[in-house]
Amino acid sequence: MAICTVYTTPSLNSTCSISTTSKTQLGFHQKQVVFYSSGKKTSKRGSNTTSPYVITCTTSAGDSKTVVIGLAADSGCGKSTFMRRLTSVFGGAAEPPKGGNPDSNTLISDTTTVICLDDYHSLDRTGRKQKGVTALDPRANDFDLMYEQVKALKDGIPVDKPIYNHVSGLLDPPELIKPPKILVIEGLHPMFDSRVRDLLDFSIYLDISNEVKFAWKIQRDMAERGHSLESIKASIEARKPDFDAYIDPQKQYADAVIEVLPTQLIPDDNEGKILRVRLIMKEGVEFFNPVYLFDEGSTISWIPCGRKLTCSYPGIKFFYGPDTYFGHEVSVLEMDGQFDRLDELIYVESHLSNISTKFYGEVTQQMLKHADFPGSSNGTGLFQTIVGLKIRDLFEQLISTTAKTPVEATKA
Amino acid sequence: MACLVAGTGVVGCCPRTVRGGGGGSSLSPRSEALSFSKESVLVRMGEAKKGLTVKAMAVAPKFIGTQRKEQQLAEMIEKKVIEAKEVCGEDGRSDECKVAWDEVEEISQAKADLRLRLEKQDPLEFFCQDNPETDECRLYED
Repeated sequence: MAICTVYTTPSLNSTCSISTTSKTQLGFHQKQVVFYSSGKKTSKRGSNTTSPYVITCTTSAGDSKTVVIGLAADSGCGKSTFMRRLTSVFGGAAEPPKGGNPDSNTLISDTTTVICLDDYHSLDRTGRKQKGVTALDPRANDFDLMYEQVKALKDGIPVDKPIYNHVSGLLDPPELIKPPKILVIEGLHPMFDSRVRDLLDFSIYLDISNEVKFAWKIQRDMAERGHSLESIKASIEARKPDFDAYIDPQKQYADAVIEVLPTQLIPDDNEGKILRVRLIMKEGVEFFNPVYLFDEGSTISWIPCGRKLTCSYPGIKFFYGPDTYFGHEVSVLEMDGQFDRLDELIYVESHLSNISTKFYGEVTQQMLKHADFPGSSNGTGLFQTIVGLKIRDLFEQLISTTAKTPVEATKA
Repeated sequence: MACLVAGTGVVGCCPRTVRGGGGGSSLSPRSEALSFSKESVLVRMGEAKKGLTVKAMAVAPKFIGTQRKEQQLAEMIEKKVIEAKEVCGEDGRSDECKVAWDEVEEISQAKADLRLRLEKQDPLEFFCQDNPETDECRLYED
């Protein structure tokens, strides 16, 4: 709904033309209506000017803000499970843009647009080879452009964003991105540049331990001709120095870190099927209240399996407690083990607090909706879903605190 | 799932004393509403787990263009793994070595993404609707 007011009213006789623009000078999503009046008119002030009056209309709070979320992940762009769960929480599935470049990395749903930060590579594959830099290296990325465009989208201005084509390794012609309600920037460096960092309303870092990374990449690559256990291992090892130098340090800036580790429930397990997942949540983040178990701020060790709930081997173990992480106060919620059945999931959900659900069982419902996604039976799916709900909560709080923007008429 | 869609946020709604062990032998009438979806979930969660251990069957591409892309990526992976092994040969810490394995990673991920995307729809679907006569839009037959 738009509210438009004109403070001074010249008489609007004879011909009028109305032009609208959604480009703004004040940084809100606005429509400006310009009235030109021709012919003589007498105004209260007695002037005979025919200068146009600009009437500025602002849409009510809720339409005028783009919330920006950063997600640091080393698992390709946009197709990651986390992204799919996140966009599902907001409603609808995010799809690649219809028409346009079939190799686009962007995903768009009704509320959310997911941008892959690889699109801001300043060097294509050949360029990186020539300069001897990996994609992880900041020198391969144009942070100025990243900042410019994320800022523009946040301010409600559409941008022509480049496309990095992962198949050809080239930079393709740009695609138009319109400002969405929720913008997610996903990739290797969402929190690397401090200017971009300051634009983020919430940031998440997905921290996969080496053993788990190895297990996942085996699942991903073993069927491919050319790959072997050695080649998969060599690839991880070769990228590690750049990863540790440029990507890993970003986790200190994240509002939430999801750490994925091998289980402690099975001694010497190296299959990576049972996972121990830790949700590390920064304290004191605006609009973000960390999830807790039973008693906020205390330390809890919880095994839900027992008389009321029977679980199959190796069971489920929870931990909750305060901690410090890179000098920040955090709360940590940890799950080790696997869900086997619906009732285990509901049982666990019913004991968690501050999960920002809109109805009892929403977490379970979301998990079931995507039961075929990886991580659906362990902490990765559970915490990704919960983080999605927390982001929804943050979004709703943010837009409801947007001040009703004042409406004014300015002489053009 | 009568309890779950109640939307009342009443914590006591769903019984906390649901017995585990599948089958639902001690189900109260309220839980009966859950049992239908429980079965389908039992199956689905089992399948989800299976998906972790067994390689999922690949979905065939619809258009020749996509099949060629898959083929191209597969060949690139093979080629670049060999290249990387050669380049890294003696000094596994040189810049060239890092870049070579980074390329392998990029292509491997691109192939995996394409495979995943194919499960929903051939990426050329919209392009081919508008340009059905192009070479890459011929239908792929196994």
